[in-house]
Amino acid sequence: MRRILATTASLICLLALAACGDEDTPASGSSDPVTIEVTFSDGTVTPQGERVEVETGQDVELQITADEPGEIHVHSTPEQELEYAAGESTLTIANLDAPGVVDVESHTLDQVIVQLEVS
Amino acid sequence: MSLVAVVAQTTSAHGIGGAKDLPISPELAIAGAVAALTVSFTVLAVAWRTPRFDEATSGLPSSGLTRLVDSTAWRLGWRVVGFAIFAWAMFAAVAGQDLLTNPFFGMFYVWWWVGLVPLSLFLGPVWKALSPVRTINAAFAKISGSDPEVGVFTYPERLGHWPAAVGLFAFVWLELVYPFSTELGPVRLWAAAYLAVMLLGGALFGNVFYERADPFEVYSSLVAKMSPWGRRDGQVVIRNPLANLDTVVARPGLVAVVAVLFGSTGFDSFKDSQRWVKFVQGNDFIVSHSWADDLADNIALLVFCAGVGLIFAIGTMATGVSSGERRISLPNKFAHSVVPIIVGYIVAHYLSYLIEVGQDTLIKASDPLSDGSNYLGTGDWSVNYWLSYHPTLLANIKVGAVVLGHVLGVISAHDRAIKLLPQRHQLTGQLPLLVAMVAFTVGGLYLLFAA
Repeated sequence: MRRILATTASLICLLALAACGDEDTPASGSSDPVTIEVTFSDGTVTPQGERVEVETGQDVELQITADEPGEIHVHSTPEQELEYAAGESTLTIANLDAPGVVDVESHTLDQVIVQLEVS
Repeated sequence: MSLVAVVAQTTSAHGIGGAKDLPISPELAIAGAVAALTVSFTVLAVAWRTPRFDEATSGLPSSGLTRLVDSTAWRLGWRVVGFAIFAWAMFAAVAGQDLLTNPFFGMFYVWWWVGLVPLSLFLGPVWKALSPVRTINAAFAKISGSDPEVGVFTYPERLGHWPAAVGLFAFVWLELVYPFSTELGPVRLWAAAYLAVMLLGGALFGNVFYERADPFEVYSSLVAKMSPWGRRDGQVVIRNPLANLDTVVARPGLVAVVAVLFGSTGFDSFKDSQRWVKFVQGNDFIVSHSWADDLADNIALLVFCAGVGLIFAIGTMATGVSSGERRISLPNKFAHSVVPIIVGYIVAHYLSYLIEVGQDTLIKASDPLSDGSNYLGTGDWSVNYWLSYHPTLLANIKVGAVVLGHVLGVISAHDRAIKLLPQRHQLTGQLPLLVAMVAFTVGGLYLLFAA
């Protein structure tokens, strides 16, 4: 039992060492927004569930081209709901302060447009 | 964060809670997998060769603790607490509005389903003490002058934990697959059906029904076996958690219970992975048939649960057995060793969710009717997101929990193997099970990495 515990303990220490290499970076906030082009047509949307990396505090601009008006849900904490009209428009997703994966969904189509990897 | 203009919250088919944890880094995932693999074979090579865990002798009896937890005041106190929380949830469910601000959702999906795990891990079988269905059953018995322990019939032994496995599956199905899982009607209906079945079962079979068939009591009592609190000859004992885990009774359906618990949590990680999202939204057949994405989720949940059960059954049965042992009985006799793996993965999967949505639920619980009231005084509190702002720490805790759970699982399986298997199969007979456990752990780490 003692030998197992010793092995386990040393492995966990190794694990901790391996993991502690990267430090948490503070929110930058000042950088330019990430721009994503989103196209709605004939009941489909592009992109389709792509991962997009975003820094904490950085805004995301959705440049929307849509054939019909609709609604987008941003599953950040707290959640945000954004509406867009038919034609071209720009929506800004702000307040992405906490690290995490945020799904951006088309409420109208019930599909994930992008997953924002905020870190 | 408070500046965000949150448009009137409507329900969505997304479940409760906002952002999800970041994926763990590949370095961390690989380090965890290597640790799990190394420890597994170390245990096999150097661990004891005669069984250590013995229900009849393990644990330190405490007469003081026994007196306390067996006292009427203690038991009644927890019954009152359990019933008060239940009544509050029912109030929100019946009189509250169909909005995500209704605390019923958080109480149902977060406090009940997730909160039960740490409570049971630290305090023992809490659902048995809090369960409102046991309280109602006891009250009925009191009124009618009967004994809540006995029902009209004897609970069929061969039924074992199968009803609990079905109940747990029904819960994860509602949470993970059913598209309207955050609409009040269906969740309320599920809770009502649970209550009805439990009260009927209690009347028919007495309290033994709750012990074997109540999905929440089975889950809670199983996790409680990893706590230091046990019983021996009626006395409360303080035990090594591994010795305590060894006292799990191998009833029919136990493998199904652990398979549903582990498989469904794995599916929950998987369904948010980019791979699955892209498959469901990009597959021509699924996109062109409106029912197909729900069907795909149903099939995937079933495959995850059945897959875990099958891998575990093969892993435990692929060994030589002594003449008195039936091979088919082995999976249930080893099933307790999956419990630490489940708990480790639950910590990894739910820790930030429990802490953050759990707090959010406490805030919302102050306003059960969504009319701006602050009955409990918690309504103006704010959620502490400290853990989310420390993603490296969170990732380390997650991988640490998965690896620790794996190690404890391997040790408890080892002790059981040298108890059950004939001498010449004791080491080789463990290998397939070890491979199955490594598969679970590496699979779990992969899902945390691919999340």
